[in-house]
Amino acid sequence: MDFFLEGLRQGVLLILKGNREVLGITSFSVYVAGVSTLLACAVGVPLGFVVSSTRFWGRRAAITVLNTTLAFPTVVVGLIVWGLLARNGPLGALELLYTGWAIIVAEVILASPIVAALTASAVQGVDARVRRTALTLGAGPLRTHWEVAREARYGLLAGVVVAFGRVLAEVGAAMIVGGNIRHHTRTLTTAVALAASQGDFALAMALGLILLALAFTVNMLLQIFQGRGHA
Amino acid sequence: MLRAQHIQYRYGSRLVLSVDEFGLEPGLITAVVGANGSGKSTLLRILAFVDRPWSGLLELDGKVISSREARRTARRQVTLIEQQPFLFGGTVRANCAYGLVIRGVPKADAKRRATEIIDRMGIEALAGRKAVALSDGERQKVAVARALALGPRILLLDEPVSAADPSSTNHLYRVLTEERDRGLAICFSTHRLENAYRWSDRLVALVDGCTSPVTPENMFRATLPDGEEPPFARVGPLRIQVVTDRRGPVTIAIPPEDIVVSTEPLHSSIRNQFAGRITRISDDGHGRVGLNVDVGFDMLARITPAALTDLDLSLGSSVYLSVKAVAVQVL
Repeated sequence: MDFFLEGLRQGVLLILKGNREVLGITSFSVYVAGVSTLLACAVGVPLGFVVSSTRFWGRRAAITVLNTTLAFPTVVVGLIVWGLLARNGPLGALELLYTGWAIIVAEVILASPIVAALTASAVQGVDARVRRTALTLGAGPLRTHWEVAREARYGLLAGVVVAFGRVLAEVGAAMIVGGNIRHHTRTLTTAVALAASQGDFALAMALGLILLALAFTVNMLLQIFQGRGHA
Repeated sequence: MLRAQHIQYRYGSRLVLSVDEFGLEPGLITAVVGANGSGKSTLLRILAFVDRPWSGLLELDGKVISSREARRTARRQVTLIEQQPFLFGGTVRANCAYGLVIRGVPKADAKRRATEIIDRMGIEALAGRKAVALSDGERQKVAVARALALGPRILLLDEPVSAADPSSTNHLYRVLTEERDRGLAICFSTHRLENAYRWSDRLVALVDGCTSPVTPENMFRATLPDGEEPPFARVGPLRIQVVTDRRGPVTIAIPPEDIVVSTEPLHSSIRNQFAGRITRISDDGHGRVGLNVDVGFDMLARITPAALTDLDLSLGSSVYLSVKAVAVQVL
């Protein structure tokens, strides 16, 4: 127990003292998660809109595929992206492997289905009269989608927050395609795994506490958005 | 102006609307009357180019409207007000200006036109209020104002007074009549026949998604048992003799003009006779008197004012209603 409490104390001290290693890893993680979430939104929000508000052949199959990708094992995504970006892979010429962008590519693949599925769910939950009212008052397709999105805004924000949380806490793909290189591609999760394996419990604890605090913040935001959406 | 031909609409495999011919003309108010689920709202949504019919044609000013772009253009001339209208967030005035703003009208002009129509609708007190805080009746008024602000050529209203009090109802219909006189084509759905008769120039009845050849008073769901000859339709406590080969669940209609009203039972060839008491006497505005008689359920008979005087009828009078079996329509 003393070992645990001492590790916890030292971890808290590392955070309070503003340890550069800890700050660097944290800022890199938040940056990667932020960019990944933004790109995932660029892909997932329109996809969710299309799946939920248009009728096309194979729509049910598309929804099934989308829902399946929600449960994609992160290491498998990491493996696929690694295979694509490896020097001998089809995208090897881009030289992205073991860079922050490699992690971002993998995280976008993981987060886009989450954003798309939650967007689809939020849009489907919007009162059908919103679309009809906008149309009958002369709105074009874009304006109509905008009005639907406005009504679904809390659901859409919840999707963004969930995707951000997922990306921030992801470890498998980041480890495989990022390589966990110090000052370069080390994220909070990969750093915790490494520090624990090296016996640096204080550093692992400090990073773990930050991860927990971020996860807590994300969940708090989610609760707020979901609460407003149901209000 | 606007014509629908052979339009059909399905929910899944269920056919909910099948109308061969339906048209709206400028300067005419058309009332669509029917029970819940008869297809009124579906018809109005199709006429508003919001829902696309599964089959059939829609023509506006003689041109078939089918492409996405044509439908979009047509929607700028037709405005639909739903039974439970949706109002956007913001104030009543902002809602009334919404359609104008998205059509590119400068905000100041849109606001001025919205204010004008708000005044005309008599809802000045609501102008600055948040739309989400309004009652159902107020929402309906705001939705009508919002639609009229656009100056549409065709106005469609789905049960426009379902949440309104009598004075609001009269005010709304007066506004619609003024718009009709300015050349607007108006179509409203209602389940209140008195509103339909009083405020419309033309009445169309919908039964199970189809236009009915008879007006919808005295329209009843009935069952015709198998193997019964002659067939009797069971309507509540009554058995009504009809002439038909059909059996099973049907809708029957007894035209009010085909009902003979007497104060004594008639000894005649008439097959159906029901005793009851008068519960309401109304002037239908076309020189006829409507008598609502409780015969176990409400039945409407239409007679002349002279007949009312001759028979010395008043509220509560006992009367006999007689209907020939051939006059009962099986729909």
